[in-house]
Amino acid sequence: MNVLELKDFNAYYGNKKIINNLNMAIKRNKITAIIGPSGCGKSTLLLSLNRMLEEVEGRTEGQILFNGKNIYSISKEEIRRRIGIVFQKPTPFPFSIYKNLTYAPIYYGVRDKKRLDEIAKGKLIISGLYEEVKDEIHASALKLSGGQQQRLCIARALTVEPEVLLLDEPCSALDIKNTANIEKMLLNLAKDYTIVIVTHNLSQAKRISDYTAFMLDGELIEYDETHRIFSFPKDKRTKEYIEGIYG
Amino acid sequence: MMKRIQSALFALWISVSCVLTIAAGLFIILYIFIKGFKTITWEFLLSNPGGIPIGVEGGIFPAIIGSLLLMLISIVFAFILALATAVYIVFYCESQRLENTAHVIIQCMAGIPSIVLGLFGYTVMVVSLNMGRSLLSAGLTLGIMIFPFIQVRIEKAFREFSKSVLNASYSLGVSKVYTIFRLILPQCRRDIVSSITLAGGFAMGAAAPIMLTGAVIFAPAPKALSSPVMALPLHLYILSNESISMEKSYATALVLIAILITINIFAITLTLWRKEVKR
Amino acid sequence: MRIGFDKAFIILIKVLTLFSLLLLSFIIIFVFKEGYIFFKEVPILKFITGTTWNPLSDPRNLSIFNIILATLYVSLVAIIIALPIGVGSALLLSGYVKERPRLIIRGLIDIIAGIPSVIFGFIGLMVLVKFFEKFFDFPSGESVLAGGILLAVMVLPYIISTCDETMDKLYRKHSPAAQAMGISKIYILRTIVLPQSLRGIVAATVLAFGRAMGETMAVMMVIGNAPIMPRLLGKCQTIPSLIALEMGMAEVGSLHYHALFAAGFVLMVILLMINVALYYVKRSLNR
Repeated sequence: MNVLELKDFNAYYGNKKIINNLNMAIKRNKITAIIGPSGCGKSTLLLSLNRMLEEVEGRTEGQILFNGKNIYSISKEEIRRRIGIVFQKPTPFPFSIYKNLTYAPIYYGVRDKKRLDEIAKGKLIISGLYEEVKDEIHASALKLSGGQQQRLCIARALTVEPEVLLLDEPCSALDIKNTANIEKMLLNLAKDYTIVIVTHNLSQAKRISDYTAFMLDGELIEYDETHRIFSFPKDKRTKEYIEGIYG
Repeated sequence: MMKRIQSALFALWISVSCVLTIAAGLFIILYIFIKGFKTITWEFLLSNPGGIPIGVEGGIFPAIIGSLLLMLISIVFAFILALATAVYIVFYCESQRLENTAHVIIQCMAGIPSIVLGLFGYTVMVVSLNMGRSLLSAGLTLGIMIFPFIQVRIEKAFREFSKSVLNASYSLGVSKVYTIFRLILPQCRRDIVSSITLAGGFAMGAAAPIMLTGAVIFAPAPKALSSPVMALPLHLYILSNESISMEKSYATALVLIAILITINIFAITLTLWRKEVKR
Repeated sequence: MRIGFDKAFIILIKVLTLFSLLLLSFIIIFVFKEGYIFFKEVPILKFITGTTWNPLSDPRNLSIFNIILATLYVSLVAIIIALPIGVGSALLLSGYVKERPRLIIRGLIDIIAGIPSVIFGFIGLMVLVKFFEKFFDFPSGESVLAGGILLAVMVLPYIISTCDETMDKLYRKHSPAAQAMGISKIYILRTIVLPQSLRGIVAATVLAFGRAMGETMAVMMVIGNAPIMPRLLGKCQTIPSLIALEMGMAEVGSLHYHALFAAGFVLMVILLMINVALYYVKRSLNR
């Protein structure tokens, strides 16, 4: 039932403690939203989950279990394949749309042209991008609009068939229409994937997530089903935050 | 009033400076073109030098071939080392101290005068390793000379690569090596090619390191790595310094400078193109 | 298979890097080794303070004080000429020239940097030396001054591009605010950009000085190559030109041969020091 489990988890940049003694379990095939003011450690938490924190020179203490196994006992390539991530700013590779989508599958040994075409097409359909770009999948990905780029990045993250998809404020740079597109897509994806989304946008969390975690100053304050968090917060700080006190 | 005069003097100084710089550059290029142009014929380009002393008659064919081959060897050697060093420093080196040391070393290598590199090539390759005065000895010596030049530019290109795109690649679970080959190298191709061509131009124009290690007054176009070679810069030096033939000196200089300007313009266009694409 | 390839690649990268970085020590060791044989015969102090270089006399006199002095002298003359012109050009480029023409001028400057030294030497021989002979009525136009002027043109591109890098940044940083107050470009350049780019200018000077000292062909063709006490309008001999000219005549293993390596070693040590200094100046620039 739990895909990811954090036990007595701490994270640091240098000597600065960013996450303090966090315990949390993330449920399979649900959308979990992490909310909290900027600097509360929610992005750091996300980066820890697939060991991307190492790339930005952070370090961790405590345990993260993925399907019951410590993520540090699995190679970082393997853990990242199985737990994908999409960042706040779209990061398309400077190649064609098609090459963006086949980049990782080729690494994992898919050589068959037909199979690659299928993967590319399939993931474009899932991300709702197919109809928009089907005639120009060999055009540069950099020519897409911001929202399209972000959906491409989600599609790209899915090309390696992860079990979990992490999203770090994926809509913060996008307009309402593109945000709606992405939210619709995420709701669809939740059937097959576990999704963890960090967001600033409370109404977004309310709209799409099953569970919501509220973080403040590196600590997990409250974690429950979304409707409970928003309707009957137990902690005073949660209540203040969702009422707009911290901004 | 005083301020006015100061400003005027300052303006005069900087404009005169710029005019002088541009004039010097144009003068050199135009002077060689005008003086050398009439001597350039197909025969000059495609025949061996002849006469006594050698070079009075005939052409510079073996020197053109020799210079191009020297450039090629030096580029290959320097590129392999420079690429490896840049990859290591940017993607694998974890100690800041080691990185700084490497930078000091490369800076120092860049500062070693080319004639001292010639001495090194001579004692190590020509004498100790018994490679003789040859295309290979001279080419490798030139390679050492241009190694820092290429390394610095490749490293800079790597560092300019967007960190977030790099992380996006790592986040797909692909390895660093795959990321380097599939994402970074293709994207830095233009910078790399431009740095190599520029460096090749430097290698081709250098006379000091090769006069001790492989370039000779006369040799036919080389057939093997162990043959001695003729090279344009050394040929020009001999023709002009010993007053063998001024006409042929101008023409040789023109050929050399024309090749180098072509190389330069190619490299500059590549860099400009890249900048436009980025925008 | 992929993991095997990755591992092999990483090992290859490490080996090649190690080799590249060790090259410097190879160069130092081998040049020193050949020079050391000479230093056993002639004490190093005598080598660099004695004034006579005559490999053909008996007993041989192999000291390079005059030659070191001339190497410094020619380079100094070059810097004195090139620095004001280079700094001035860089100022104009950073403040006045628009994007397009600027690229063209930078291109031309890159091309000057790419002109081989032997062509500079050739032009020096045909134009500069002839000019001195004609107009100043010298017995021969070959002189420290000719070498200095030639080197000045050669190091100009290095000075301009190093200065321009710093100045361009400064100008972009300060000009919007200053122009908003109605201050003229000239005034910004003179009172803000120029004084603030002092460190960049120092870096450029050190770089250019190093380049000038190591230059062989161009200098060799216009200084007359006489190992005497250098005077501005007289002939002289520099270390690189000494090596280039005499290496061909010196028999392998002879004292003369080792003396030339010793001279090369002295030159290299000077330049290594200059470049370590340059590294630290540059680093302080980037902070």
